[in-house]
Amino acid sequence: MYIATNTHILVAEFDYVEPTTLEEVFWHLSEHGPQARLIAGGTDLLVQMKMERKNPACLISLARVLELQGMTSNSGLTVGATASIRSLARSEPIGRHYTALAEACNAFSTIPIMVMATLGGNLCNASPAADTAPPLLAFDASVALVSRAGQRVVPLEDFFLGPGQTALRHDEVLRSVHLAESVRGAGSAFVKVARVAADISQVCAAVRVVRDGDHVIDCRIALGAVAPTPVRAHRAEAFLTGQRPDRGRVDDAARIAGEDTKPITDVRATQEYRRHASRVIVRDALTTAWLRAGGRELK
Amino acid sequence: MTPAERRYMSSDELRAVGSVAWRKDGVAKVTGAEQYAPDIALSRMWYARVLRSPHAHARITRIDTSVAEALGAVCLTFADIPKVKYNERIVSTPPHLYRDRYVLADKARHVGEAVAAVAAPTEALAEKALRAIKVDYEPLQTILNAEDSMRSGAEPIHASVRLGDAEIPIENNVAVTRSIQVGDIDKGFAESEFVIEREFTTHPIYHAQMETKSVVCRPEPDEAITVWATAQSIHNVRQLLGEIYSIPLHKVNVRRVALGGTFGSSIQVNSVIPICVGLALRALRPVKLVSTREEDMYDHVRYPTNIRLRLGLKRDGTLVAGHMRAIVDIGAHNIQAFPFLGVLAGFWASLYRLPHMKYEGRAVYTNRTPSCAMQGFGAPQVTFAVESLMDEIAHELGMDPIDLKLKNYVGLGGTFWGHGPTVQSIVRSDGVPELVGLGAKKIGWKERPRPGSQTGRYRRGIGMARGFHTSGVGHPKATGAEMIDYSGAFVKINEDGSVDVVQSLMDHGGGTLEAIAKIVADELGVPLEKVGLSPVDTRTTVYDVTTHATRGVYAGGAAAQKAARKAKAILLDYASRLLGVLPEALVIEPDVRLGQGVIHCPSLADRRITVGAVAKACQVNSWGTIAAVESLRQVNCPPAYVTYFVEVEVDTDTGNVRTRRAAIGSDCGTVVNPDLAAGQLTGGLSKGAGYALIEDCRWDAQTGELLSRGFWIDGKTPSVSESPLLEDVHTDFAKTYEPSGPFGAKGLGEASTNPCAGAYANALYNALGVRFYELPVTPEKILAALQRKEPAYDARDERRTAVAPAR
Ligand SMILES: Cc1cc2nc3c(=O)[nH]c(=O)nc-3n(C[C@H](O)[C@H](O)[C@H](O)COP(=O)(O)OP(=O)(O)OC[C@H]3O[C@@H](n4cnc5c(N)ncnc54)[C@H](O)[C@@H]3O)c2cc1C
Repeated sequence: MYIATNTHILVAEFDYVEPTTLEEVFWHLSEHGPQARLIAGGTDLLVQMKMERKNPACLISLARVLELQGMTSNSGLTVGATASIRSLARSEPIGRHYTALAEACNAFSTIPIMVMATLGGNLCNASPAADTAPPLLAFDASVALVSRAGQRVVPLEDFFLGPGQTALRHDEVLRSVHLAESVRGAGSAFVKVARVAADISQVCAAVRVVRDGDHVIDCRIALGAVAPTPVRAHRAEAFLTGQRPDRGRVDDAARIAGEDTKPITDVRATQEYRRHASRVIVRDALTTAWLRAGGRELK
Repeated sequence: MTPAERRYMSSDELRAVGSVAWRKDGVAKVTGAEQYAPDIALSRMWYARVLRSPHAHARITRIDTSVAEALGAVCLTFADIPKVKYNERIVSTPPHLYRDRYVLADKARHVGEAVAAVAAPTEALAEKALRAIKVDYEPLQTILNAEDSMRSGAEPIHASVRLGDAEIPIENNVAVTRSIQVGDIDKGFAESEFVIEREFTTHPIYHAQMETKSVVCRPEPDEAITVWATAQSIHNVRQLLGEIYSIPLHKVNVRRVALGGTFGSSIQVNSVIPICVGLALRALRPVKLVSTREEDMYDHVRYPTNIRLRLGLKRDGTLVAGHMRAIVDIGAHNIQAFPFLGVLAGFWASLYRLPHMKYEGRAVYTNRTPSCAMQGFGAPQVTFAVESLMDEIAHELGMDPIDLKLKNYVGLGGTFWGHGPTVQSIVRSDGVPELVGLGAKKIGWKERPRPGSQTGRYRRGIGMARGFHTSGVGHPKATGAEMIDYSGAFVKINEDGSVDVVQSLMDHGGGTLEAIAKIVADELGVPLEKVGLSPVDTRTTVYDVTTHATRGVYAGGAAAQKAARKAKAILLDYASRLLGVLPEALVIEPDVRLGQGVIHCPSLADRRITVGAVAKACQVNSWGTIAAVESLRQVNCPPAYVTYFVEVEVDTDTGNVRTRRAAIGSDCGTVVNPDLAAGQLTGGLSKGAGYALIEDCRWDAQTGELLSRGFWIDGKTPSVSESPLLEDVHTDFAKTYEPSGPFGAKGLGEASTNPCAGAYANALYNALGVRFYELPVTPEKILAALQRKEPAYDARDERRTAVAPAR
């Protein structure tokens, strides 16, 4: 990086277009080739451009594309890619049925960022610390990717390939995110640890449990900022599924989840701290989700 | 403002002082109309950018600006600047002013050091031109800590610096040392019955003021320059520019613009100012230079310190002897190391009475971002060390920390060192016992847990620390001062009875000028609405040293009061002609109905006239304008005491610390701006919590780059989300009156944060039974400490409850 790199002057010169339909977006994508980039809220991309990590020749804004907006419930919930984090944080159905996602959106930095940032941008930026990713993984979300060639649906778990890397092809647009239908006896929770509220997660975790009587009959545990991508803690999920949870079991599941993390050290936290804290927050999230699922206080 | 909205002080004559009023700059600020340095836009103006060194330590062997010039930019390099070594902080008197830098560097001494600069018609072109400059560097050994720097054989960072008219050599990279001794510590420690020694480490943090350092310079047709700059003193900017560029002072005009916060970051004449002037003089057109956030972060940090403190006491808690050794990493330039070493000693000596004390301070150059004053200038560092150690001593001796402190503190009649060993005066107002009592009651001090007695996941603790800041650096001695300290003001009564206050004092945003208007209103006896704060510059004002050292109201306000008093004498003289009453028999009082000051004679009811009528009569009769100009140097430096009580809640599983409640007490004498004063205290808590728990500047050991590389998204400061609810922060003001201050006022600003880190450290001890000697106390450090203390510490502990309490 050049020493003069700064957030005051955006050095790169680029074209900017504001299409209103997906068809026009595809046209611009093919016209400008790999030099083009989609921009939604810009809260990741513009920062990266100012820091000179990305240098697109053309920005294609998604802000006016109607097909990417809105929220519909249809055996689950489909959320348009450009839905703002703030709209999800304030959505009544999300708060009720997808509590962990609402919690993640409410813990999302500051209000100005929440208003600008979009769900699609959070996923396509593919930061290991993207706060909406763990809850979406916990809700078995899938993403609809569209191009001129048509639409394909990819489970979110297969979407993230590495830091900044996704299954998205250059000619594709993330159109919407689908969350599986909420079931009876389910409860979820999201917990984030950060240096201050207006910060990216040091670690975050989302949990969804489905309860039948005193048993966990289904369980999803997902973590952020502990590996190159947001990850599911499959071993810990399996450990709890079919079990009657008590404090010891929940602690053990959390320990297993912590053991399976591969965190790094950066300015926000050390590797050791991340591993330790993931165990703590998985335990906390499991406990809260269990109570929200109507489970009895753990002994 | 309605009369009912006013809150009067106990004394009847005080009207504006102590009232809650609309700020005079309030509408401009909330509507965005206020002009800060970066808002200045002039015709024909060009934009500047500064090329900064990517190396922490390197010789500069060649600079090629040809490509940049071919792009149409004007360039400035070391070859083009006057070879004047300067120090940007020109308030130290000449025998104590260490000058070690040029407008542009002769050698790169830290990453971010200004090496060259460009100006171009647009900022974008300036950026392009900047990147076209080629610099050849010859890297030298990079030294990033004081220990390495003092080692023999370490690469010299400065071979020599200027002091007075001499060039003095620098040995072992030690910029300056100071030793101070009172009594005989050998005797003192021999007499002590309890001796304790601890080492405290405080870290550098970035000021994080909102406005980045900026400047606009316009060369004038008569070879003069006009400058708008982010500055805490416009007169110092003028004098330094005159010195560097050999321009007579009447041709250097610096205009006051609003300041977007400083926390001390512009206490010196910012190094971008002479760079911008150099470019403007070369380009022969106005040039604007706005620092990027990233270069601003590479410009300055709070002084980090390493303090070894040894204290000796009698068993009954009476302090007998103390020995402090301080090593201060000043970074690449000596901005104010000499006074800094002095205040470490002085603030220490002023916290608790020490019959025998010895202080040894060393300031060391390294290749880090230069250290500069930040809110508290040495007091946050020393107070953290002393207040932590006093708390520890109290526990060792089985005393209540409050009792130990009240037994030993420097209060009424004691000697207060406002700014090192040469700035001393006797304490004449002291609200400490009152504030300690109030705070203890509000926080529930007596009910605090026993240290280390809790075992659950969430543990609460209450900590107390006290301290102060000086109010200015005035003292009684006529000569031999280390620091300049005086203010001036010009007060003019207009022909309608309104008043212009023409004063070069700066307001950081905290309401200093608002206080000035209130003081002038009350001194003259006119309504606050009738007092105007003139836009000013250096040509039309008398000198004011700087708004620093918590002196704005105490010293700047006293100067304004003195000028107002003189104008009032002239006014009464004229009024006596008109009323046929001796001036001594007249009084002035604001009349809310008339919206005017009214002059009347209490003994003769029919002799009444408004201030406006007198001023108009002066004009109509050609008697002259009623006006006065005065300078004033305070001969005291009263302590602005502050007490802190904080309650924290530690999540022992994540190490996170939450501030639950705080009770902050201030003794600022008469409270001039009650709402703004309370705001200073809550702000001081937020800033102090960031210092104690979160913020840190660290550098890459190889490259000398900031780990954040200057990007604010990686450096964090607490926001309102980290603060307790406002109803859980109690702010109290002592009912004191400072005899030497304007209407009994003394300082407040810096004091509001000084004891904060100590209070947190003590609260953490109370919660966890563990002492922290190193700032910041991060979650990682808390977990590590708990693991050491409780080896069986495990997140699986049965007694823990996993559900977090509601926020
Ligand atoms: C101060 C600050 C605080 C932040 N705090 C948080 C936080 O607490 N938690 C958190 O998770 N993140 C945080 N972020 C990061 C950022 O705000 C989020 O990742 C946000 O959701 C990104 O959305 P956006 O719409 O702004 O994306 P953009 O910046 O517009 O785009 C991001 C990337 O996604 C691509 N893209 C966007 N939409 C689509 C689409 N529909 N199809 C295909 N590609 C697409 C873009 O090409 C780009 O590469 C923060 C950022 C800042 C600046």
